[in-house]
Amino acid sequence: MIPEGKDKIEETVRATLADVLGISADRAAAFAATTPLFGALPELDSMAVAGVLTELEDRLGIVIEDDEVDGELLESFGALVEFAARKALL
Amino acid sequence: MTGGPILDSYEWPGGHEPLLRFGDGSPRVVLALPLFEEFNRTRAIGVTLLRSLAARGVSGLLPDFPGTGESIVPTAAATLESMRVAYGAVIAAYGPLIAIGMRSGALIDLNAAVTERWHFAPQSGEELLREINRQSAADGTIAGNIVSPSLREEIAAATLNRRARVVRLSTDPRPAHLTIDGAPPWRRVEPDNDPALVARLADDIADWIARCDG
Repeated sequence: MIPEGKDKIEETVRATLADVLGISADRAAAFAATTPLFGALPELDSMAVAGVLTELEDRLGIVIEDDEVDGELLESFGALVEFAARKALL
Repeated sequence: MTGGPILDSYEWPGGHEPLLRFGDGSPRVVLALPLFEEFNRTRAIGVTLLRSLAARGVSGLLPDFPGTGESIVPTAAATLESMRVAYGAVIAAYGPLIAIGMRSGALIDLNAAVTERWHFAPQSGEELLREINRQSAADGTIAGNIVSPSLREEIAAATLNRRARVVRLSTDPRPAHLTIDGAPPWRRVEPDNDPALVARLADDIADWIARCDG
């Protein structure tokens, strides 16, 4: 995996969460790999999850199938970035 | 600019529907907002855009298409075809008009007799279908609104008219004539306005219309 590519993916995931959930840039900047997402962020309800996934599809040019979406995908910021990087950098 | 929009109505083969008129002169543009949840998230921006255009001397219309907005057609009975027929009725009554299509709103002007098309972040039928399928509950509703299987089929087959000026946000890698910075208002979970974004869109539309006219 190309480090530069993954950094860019991470910034895209960070910006997507901020834009979709209306989170401040400061708060989004503080997200680390272990930062919990679904269940921990009050803004992230099921409609918001749909928005985050669709926005990631649009920004990264990927398609996320229903069966790829499970609890682990949105467990943490790191998990979401790993998933996005796997899809986008293939 | 004398003030806010005027609430009017238009007639189409299926009945009457509400329509907002902006500006003092003859209308030059007609705005089609996105369908489904994105409509709620972008309506304030659409209204602000038409106000801004009116202030720049470009009068406009914001019709509610059957099954959307304040239309009395229930969402369960909405069809893309009827929206397109209603759109055609607006053109026939007020034309000649330039189409402004925002997101999936751009799908409605496919074959309309408009003079030009300006599309903001146009969304294809396939992309819209993926979005609404993801948003839908197990019973086929989105936020309590029934979205019929036949409407989903229409959307799956729906295409965009590519003869349009396309403006996109810089986070969107798809082709565009102009890209601008900003967060996508149609995706934000809480509806909001964005005056800076609207100003950039209104500038581009007004400049482009002047170039088309000149």
